[in-house]
Amino acid sequence: MTLTQDDQNTEVTAHPHVTVLSDRCAGCQECSIRCPVDALSLDVDSWTVIANDELCVGCRQCVRTCPFSAITVDGPVLEGFRTQSVVHHPVKLLGDRSEIRKGIDSWEAALSEASRCLSCPDPTCIRGCPAHNDIPGFIRSIREGNLDEAHDILRRTSVMPDICSRVCDQAVQCEGSCSWSLAGGTPVAIGALERFICDNAPVPPVRVRDGHTVTKKVAIIGSGPAGASCAWELAENGAQVDVFEKDGEPGGLLNWGIPDFTLPGALPRRLWDELEKAGVTLHLNHRVDMDNLSAVTNGYDAVVVAAGAGNSIRLPVKGSDLGNIVDATHFLTQSRLALSGMAGESPISIGAGDRVLVVGAGNTAMDSARMAIRLGAKPICVDWMNEKFAPVRRDELEEARQEGVEVRFGTTVDHFEGENGKVTKAVLLSTSQESAAKLPVTIKSSAHEIEVDLVIMAMGYRIPSDITDRFPQVPIKKTTPELVDRRWRASGLFAEQTVEWARNLNVGSIALSRDIARNLAGVSFDDKIWVIGDSMIGPATVVEAMAHGKHAARAILEHSSSQKVANVLVVFDSQGGKTAEVAKRVESYLSDNTYKTRITPIGDVSTGDLAWCDAIVLATWIEGLVIAGVQVSKRTRKWIETLPNLGHRPVVLVATYGVSPKNALEKCSKLLSAKGGDVKVAGGVRTSTRNVDTYLVSSKVKSALDKINQL
Amino acid sequence: MTIVDEGAGRGSTGKAAGPMDSGSNPDLVLTPVRLKAPTRRGAEEHFSPTDAGLGIELTKNSLVARLVRNRKFQFFLILPNQLVFWMVIVLGVVGTVVPGLNFGTAITWYLWFCLVFVMMVVVGRAWCVMCPFGGFAEWIQRKTFWTRTQKALGLGKKLPQPIARYGFILSVGTFLLLTWIEEFFNIAGPGAPHDTSFMVIGIVASALIFFLLFERRTFCRYFCPLTALIGTVGSMGTAAGFRTKDRQVCIDCKTKDCMRGGEEGFGCPWYTWPASADSNLSCGLCSECYKACPSGNVGLFVQKPLTSLIAPVRRRVDVAIGITLLWGLVVFQQFNATNIYGDIDNWLNTKMHFPQYPNPVDYIGLIGLFAAITVGVIWVVQKMNQDKTVRLDSPKTYGTLLSKSTGFTKFLLPITYGLIPVVGADYFARQLPKLFKHLPRLLVSIGAWFGHGNTHYSLYSDRLLSTSQIVNVQVGVIALGTLASVFALWKISNRDLVAVSKSSLAVKVSSVSIAIICGAVAIGLYLAMHGAS
Repeated sequence: MTLTQDDQNTEVTAHPHVTVLSDRCAGCQECSIRCPVDALSLDVDSWTVIANDELCVGCRQCVRTCPFSAITVDGPVLEGFRTQSVVHHPVKLLGDRSEIRKGIDSWEAALSEASRCLSCPDPTCIRGCPAHNDIPGFIRSIREGNLDEAHDILRRTSVMPDICSRVCDQAVQCEGSCSWSLAGGTPVAIGALERFICDNAPVPPVRVRDGHTVTKKVAIIGSGPAGASCAWELAENGAQVDVFEKDGEPGGLLNWGIPDFTLPGALPRRLWDELEKAGVTLHLNHRVDMDNLSAVTNGYDAVVVAAGAGNSIRLPVKGSDLGNIVDATHFLTQSRLALSGMAGESPISIGAGDRVLVVGAGNTAMDSARMAIRLGAKPICVDWMNEKFAPVRRDELEEARQEGVEVRFGTTVDHFEGENGKVTKAVLLSTSQESAAKLPVTIKSSAHEIEVDLVIMAMGYRIPSDITDRFPQVPIKKTTPELVDRRWRASGLFAEQTVEWARNLNVGSIALSRDIARNLAGVSFDDKIWVIGDSMIGPATVVEAMAHGKHAARAILEHSSSQKVANVLVVFDSQGGKTAEVAKRVESYLSDNTYKTRITPIGDVSTGDLAWCDAIVLATWIEGLVIAGVQVSKRTRKWIETLPNLGHRPVVLVATYGVSPKNALEKCSKLLSAKGGDVKVAGGVRTSTRNVDTYLVSSKVKSALDKINQL
Repeated sequence: MTIVDEGAGRGSTGKAAGPMDSGSNPDLVLTPVRLKAPTRRGAEEHFSPTDAGLGIELTKNSLVARLVRNRKFQFFLILPNQLVFWMVIVLGVVGTVVPGLNFGTAITWYLWFCLVFVMMVVVGRAWCVMCPFGGFAEWIQRKTFWTRTQKALGLGKKLPQPIARYGFILSVGTFLLLTWIEEFFNIAGPGAPHDTSFMVIGIVASALIFFLLFERRTFCRYFCPLTALIGTVGSMGTAAGFRTKDRQVCIDCKTKDCMRGGEEGFGCPWYTWPASADSNLSCGLCSECYKACPSGNVGLFVQKPLTSLIAPVRRRVDVAIGITLLWGLVVFQQFNATNIYGDIDNWLNTKMHFPQYPNPVDYIGLIGLFAAITVGVIWVVQKMNQDKTVRLDSPKTYGTLLSKSTGFTKFLLPITYGLIPVVGADYFARQLPKLFKHLPRLLVSIGAWFGHGNTHYSLYSDRLLSTSQIVNVQVGVIALGTLASVFALWKISNRDLVAVSKSSLAVKVSSVSIAIICGAVAIGLYLAMHGAS
């Protein structure tokens, strides 16, 4: 059995002790509705919560979620032992292509690990997962011994669980957001359990949904994780999909970017075999010209740019144009071919005992160095950041060092020297870095040189310039808003405490920023053009790209491409209920009169809703006191600010007011126009009069929409 | 167990680019949240006595609603008081040393202190919404005068449970301390104006320190010298505070913005949830919950006077103890004007070599004694009336100080709550002499500021009422307070005490008698004080 057990907390003697501060407890039950073990309940007499220490396992969700910080938990985290899958390094690395991380290999071990999951009622792990896999759901299925059901649960949000479970950095995703992790303990081995499912039951094929056939034709540029998942979702819904891949085989980054020892090549191949079986047409060796995208858009209802971010960053120092200095992209592609005994177009000459300098110490650098070892070379990685602050995966770093990679942090390249046009020496400098927020500073006096035969530039990637030229918005920045989403906040995911496991990062903020980017994947950049995955956000993770693909596909399926107004989205922002009332009347009037309608409070508008609608009716209210600060509500203004481009969609603006709207409607119309909205009518409704004539308002809105259709 | 498919990030702040996933696609289960259903059982019984009394929702009026929704609402209430109190500080130091002529001392002691009592009796925590001390510190803590900021200045600590468990008793403690300091330096007499300045600076500084150390209004909730007094006496008031309109909506609410803070409002600075507030005890009327609520489910309500002391089902031990101590203090303040006290204090000071009145030992001792006597009387009432055959609630596991339930607390809590009007009336009556004797001096002090006013002005010596008239008013106020207490105790006894007593009439009569005795003691002392002076 290839299992180890964490030996911490082996002695479970004492129970945690829960103290409810009855002076501050307001009886809101935020804790008790989330307690996974029913240790908290409401005492109706005092309308405060009482705790049962006997049941408490010390997960501290109550502490995280209590809005008034009225609960404290002292004592141990009763988390049980984590079953860890092991890393198995082959004795002889030269020429080896075998996968080094092993999965959980017995049901017994899988069940033991699955039983550690608390099935938290408010599962933070799901928010931590960029794809929002129903983690407690599939773990429950494992416990029930039903791997097919587990696959069904995974399929709702993921098309490549076998790949994600191998390549995801779970520490800052699901496992970093696991309740045990947030409580300072060891998280459930979610990645290993997901892999256990895929190792022991085949990932289900594309299932075209009955009655879901849509007559849409979609072109996808790129066959990486974003393109694959987008194609999958579209194919399942009966859309006709053409995929254009510049390389000779599909998979994108999954192929050339991740070595076989982490992700066996058969797995990305499986994806595309399935997709081709389902009718997706794959055009290999077909590079699409970004400057001439319209050539593609003409023939399709939607075009998805999912071409990744595969341009290696080169260190701009003296001598960097010498021979034998190569990009990581090139090196990884060629070395993969070399290892599998194939010859590439421009093979790199590398021999046993060659001294290889890898510039960088991130994922790609580690992969490059480990590939170099497998080709018989002696690699050294240098990274200018201090090891403490470098954003590297600790598990990967450890694996690389075990395989014999020398990693020097706090070191950078000053320049290269060469003979006969080929690099022979690298002059290195030491650096010092005070904190994570500050950039390292080079120490001039520390120059020293090493002899090298090959240099690999592996400092990361960027989006190819043809994409950034065509879409100047990219890469969009992933940020967390100042006021984070309220439901996310209620989950306690933003609790201050973070553990070493998650590299002391605030996993909540990271997860939310990912989600915000993912939402944008559902919004077209131009008419009919979606940009997703790494092409939109810059180099990121496989699972994010996959989530983008799925999200964009949903939006494309929802997208209405008619010129006439048929689908009307009524959005309302109401404080006292009057505006909501007006909006509801308008919506029901429109739906009674041939329009298809949806009505949503302003905070709940989804990108799907925006993609679906042909016109928007925005009902809001006007704040301010008669003479000062008269404008539409702050919430509405903020919402407009964050809208994606509305692509000339007609907008009807209705605003309720008390005394006078002044020029609030004009100001708001301007904001909407700036977002590409075409404001057809903007009208005020006075609510201080006894009876608001909602019929009149409704008919005016309808006639404005009718007018568009008559033109 | 309910399954709620929220769709991650739904109801987002709007910053998240319109958000999330189409609700029309049942296959895309994005964030399966399986929150357990909250307990609804018992909510009706627990809250109906306090909800039923809720009279009018003021925020139904659109003008009031707009006013309260405006973020500058509290700022403009605080601002005038802020200006006045900085003036008090400055004038106390640089102005005239004659207390009666100094605007700082005149407005503080002849008008302000009296007005605070009027506000607490009539409204509730009206002072708290406009308080310049907490208001000033809160501006700094929030780094803004009125906007909704997300990050607070300071350490944002939570008051540790071992301290917070004493609830309002902490505030009574600081009130006793402040009163002793005030008596020692004769600040409110009024004495030297700079003493008033220092006192105000002291309060502002300590408020600021607490606001920077702890989160929200920890100072106001636990340590402000006036908070227990305003909270308890204020429960006679007509402001029910901000309450839920529909409790079920609040119980089902997934975000609790009123507690955590939302887009437009901060989380309740007073640790009160509108959905479980059963009195106006800890509602600072700041309107943050009203602004924060995304469902428009919070309203500002007025209630019948005395509702917040008669109706609550849950009564608190810290409030009960606080009331007895506050009663002890006010009786002490009356008693210390008599000749007997002078003799005791002098004797003790000589023995202890303590420089002057009031000796801290007899100060605390007598207050404690008066409080203990009151508690003792209640104990006697319990012993006389309790029906031992009635089973009390089984002891709860939380068993902290604030929620202890014994045979004695079954009597102590309702009766002390019922005594609030007489205690409040006594405090109010204590402030009347300064108001009626010296209020005209306020005008002179304003004139003096511009160089037109001195102690020879006839207005300076004018009185609104003569001393004997004042005593009559005081007696009248106490009589009214006693009457209110009798009314309250009769109602409270009917609901809370009859069930655990042998005889319904006996328990009602004996609890009402306590109010009458208290009223008589207060009246007697006023007459004695008048005699002594």
